[in-house]
Amino acid sequence: MSDILSLVLNIALAVHIALIAVCVWRVWRGENVVDRLIGADLVGTLMLAVLVLIALIWLNAAYIDVALGLAALGFVGTIALAKYIADQQMF
Amino acid sequence: MHTFLEFIAILAVIVGTVFSVLGVLGFIRMPDVYTRLHATGKVSVFGVVLLLLATVALTPLEFGKGLVLIVLLVIGGPVTSHAIGSAAHRIGIPMKRAIRDDLAAIEQTPPRDVANGHMP
Repeated sequence: MSDILSLVLNIALAVHIALIAVCVWRVWRGENVVDRLIGADLVGTLMLAVLVLIALIWLNAAYIDVALGLAALGFVGTIALAKYIADQQMF
Repeated sequence: MHTFLEFIAILAVIVGTVFSVLGVLGFIRMPDVYTRLHATGKVSVFGVVLLLLATVALTPLEFGKGLVLIVLLVIGGPVTSHAIGSAAHRIGIPMKRAIRDDLAAIEQTPPRDVANGHMP
């Protein structure tokens, strides 16, 4: 792997971690419940990006599998929380 | 050939990071839940998918899993955004500076009798 690619990947990793910190702050100081739900979903998506970048930096295939599991479970969790907010009941 | 693929990977990582930064910036700066939802939909469909395209271009070992993850994100992202937006409109979160609201006229949900086990 060349030098400039490694530099770009490390900078992108730092930027994504900073974006996760901003989103966690936004979830903490949110306006209403849907705002916090959007923030939590965004934290999951950015964590997916961080896992993909770590897999690229360390050239380890296992992190892609972790990203697959996180994507599937985050999708189901966000849909369930949106239904709970809309109907005030889960089932 | 390898240099060309590496160039594509660098370009995809930079563009995906820019999309993620713009999405989080829109999430902070937008005035409303619905417009914030519009901004954050870009992070999952463009930001992460471009990073996965860099993965697919760089390591041929991860071809299948990367493509499965891309398909999962492209299908699941709009569904998630639609569910959150529908929930926000259902519990009556107001829109800032909206001129008209056609969905409120259409919905007109009758009162539910949850006690009798009737789900709408």
